[in-house]
Amino acid sequence: MTAPTIPLGKAGNSNERAIISVRNLVKYFPIEAGFLRRQVGLVKAVDDVSFDLIEGETLALVGESGCGKTTTSRCVIQALKPTAGQVLFQMDGTPAVDLTQLDKKALKVARRNIRMIYQDPYSSLNPRMTLLQIIGEPLVINRAVKGRAELEERVAELLRMVRLDPGAMNRYPHAFSGGQRQRIAIARALSLSPKVVIADEAVSALDVSVQAQILNLLKELQKELGLTYLFVAHNLAVVKYAADRVAVMYAGKIVETAETEALYITPKHPYTEALLSAAPNPDPDTRNRPRIVLTGDVADAGNLPSGCAFHPRCQYAQDRCRQETPELVNVANAGEPAHLSACHFAKELELVGIVVTAAEARNV
Amino acid sequence: MSSTHPIGTPVQDPALPADTLLSVRNLQTHFFSREGTVKAVDGVTFDVKQGEILGIAGESGCGKSVTSQSIMRILPKNAKIVGGEILYNHQGQVIDLTAVDPNGRVIRAIRGKEISMIFQEPMSAFSPVHTIGNQIIETIRIHQPMSKAEAREQAIEMLHRVGMPNPGRNIDQYTFNLSGGMRQRAMVALALSCRPKLLIADEPTTAVDVTIQAQILKLLREIQADLGMAIIMITHDLGVIAELTDRVMIMYLGKEVEYGSVENLFHRPKHPYTRGLLASIPKMAPGRIEIEPIEGSVPSPYALPTGCKFHPRCRDFMRGVCEVSEPPLIPIAPGHEVSCYLYGGREERA
Repeated sequence: MTAPTIPLGKAGNSNERAIISVRNLVKYFPIEAGFLRRQVGLVKAVDDVSFDLIEGETLALVGESGCGKTTTSRCVIQALKPTAGQVLFQMDGTPAVDLTQLDKKALKVARRNIRMIYQDPYSSLNPRMTLLQIIGEPLVINRAVKGRAELEERVAELLRMVRLDPGAMNRYPHAFSGGQRQRIAIARALSLSPKVVIADEAVSALDVSVQAQILNLLKELQKELGLTYLFVAHNLAVVKYAADRVAVMYAGKIVETAETEALYITPKHPYTEALLSAAPNPDPDTRNRPRIVLTGDVADAGNLPSGCAFHPRCQYAQDRCRQETPELVNVANAGEPAHLSACHFAKELELVGIVVTAAEARNV
Repeated sequence: MSSTHPIGTPVQDPALPADTLLSVRNLQTHFFSREGTVKAVDGVTFDVKQGEILGIAGESGCGKSVTSQSIMRILPKNAKIVGGEILYNHQGQVIDLTAVDPNGRVIRAIRGKEISMIFQEPMSAFSPVHTIGNQIIETIRIHQPMSKAEAREQAIEMLHRVGMPNPGRNIDQYTFNLSGGMRQRAMVALALSCRPKLLIADEPTTAVDVTIQAQILKLLREIQADLGMAIIMITHDLGVIAELTDRVMIMYLGKEVEYGSVENLFHRPKHPYTRGLLASIPKMAPGRIEIEPIEGSVPSPYALPTGCKFHPRCRDFMRGVCEVSEPPLIPIAPGHEVSCYLYGGREERA
């Protein structure tokens, strides 16, 4: 596979720096069968994924279940060992390191700067630990504080940062609601002052009123602390609000990536078009909009279709799509920010994004 | 077990218009446990007309699912209907479902035949050790005198109608043979197998991907038009409500806060909670659109606020009014009701 020749960030802007560059990332899981657990196949969970995470931005990985978005994020933080590929991490003024090549000790140091927030704050927090223990644990393990007074001071600061009362640090998670627990999880993730936070469906389990609180908190923290987010999510409306750039994944590959507004208004991949069309819109006036309802299910990563993995569900598919796997290439006009699509017909097709606003629909 | 109204004996005051299929009046369903009483549903009133789609929306703990379980009489053991009526229009006879034995003949003649239900998780509707066909055929034959062969025909026809790719083969498959979207379709086929008058859909698309969700919503829309049944759509997703329903009831902590047509609810929302919900969801429209969260979080059901349940989180909180007594549900336009002192109801206070 050839490495992409153009930067995957905002094209041409040299003052933007990739803090993490993922190159040709591959993660296969073996399918084993029988008494001897012989390998009979491979689940190609992530198959040649490359992207740059630009310092200070929010990049969203979106797609349906099984598309590889979570596996990708786990490979970035080395919670899963990639089958192949590089995860280059570069902090200010230091040379880039490939996280996949680091030993345990060096990885531990690097991971201080890349932290995770998970979906379910009911299972991600140990019910037998107080907030002080939960939030302070990374500080203690990494010997980032000296003594109990300093620990308490730092935890109090973190609790204030996520708009919780520092007086609650000796209480247990059960005393808190779902939204408050997610704030605790965020405080823990921020305890070592990381550069990058990976949020894996961090607002998906929350009620909508609370989801909005957490989304706004993440935005405020990004501004205050200069954080970079890799935001893994399936809800397109949430992604539209949260992300600067979006990478859409299907069957283990990135099929399209662009700045958020461009991707939503002028999608360049039929799968993105279908996703945007399928997302329910909280406006009854738009319910009769023309809609693309895909047939069938998401491609099985253990038994991928030939050529473009999306072709069996694509209304524009032609013979070429069945035979030839499309490369992810820039289809933006000269001078415009990069807009990458892995579709043979990205330039010819006139795909529809979210152009219909409520007001427009009412005027029709 | 004392069965009260056998089918054929209408309740005393059958004041139901002919086009009203179901009328829930001041329903109160409470849960009893050692920690105390949870008023999961506390005085909810709504009608379902023949062939309409009613949405019930709200956040977790608002009582939307308990409302549907009360109608079906499938409440957990520690829950009890303590007040109100659920009047069901059974071929011109009005039956109060709160008064029938939850395991008796009357409810069993209605449940699964006239009122059926689909759930978030299809595996809760199906047994994993029987083929989906056998389960659908069994359901059909419980309610209709029919030979096995006839019931099988009808089951295949239903599987075809819900868009199963190969009904003749799918009928002999087990749930583990089917993908998530196909299971959801099979569950819809099971629920529709006796041609119900009312389908209760409890978060049917919450656990599925957005492309599958679009398939299921399209299917419900088509089948509703086809069979003319009424649907109660229960969901936390206001997008789904806007896509599918005719009328909407918004619930908060067991209370009905607003009730009206889908257009009124989305374009002329009145209750501060409804407005807050709409302002807090990110929109799928061009441009940067800010979202405004509702402050705080849903309180514990064991320690409910006094007065209006929403007052601690409300922007328009009026001291001396909202925390003192509960606002009644008052009509503010034809078919649009709201329970908020901003719109009146104060003079009725004791």
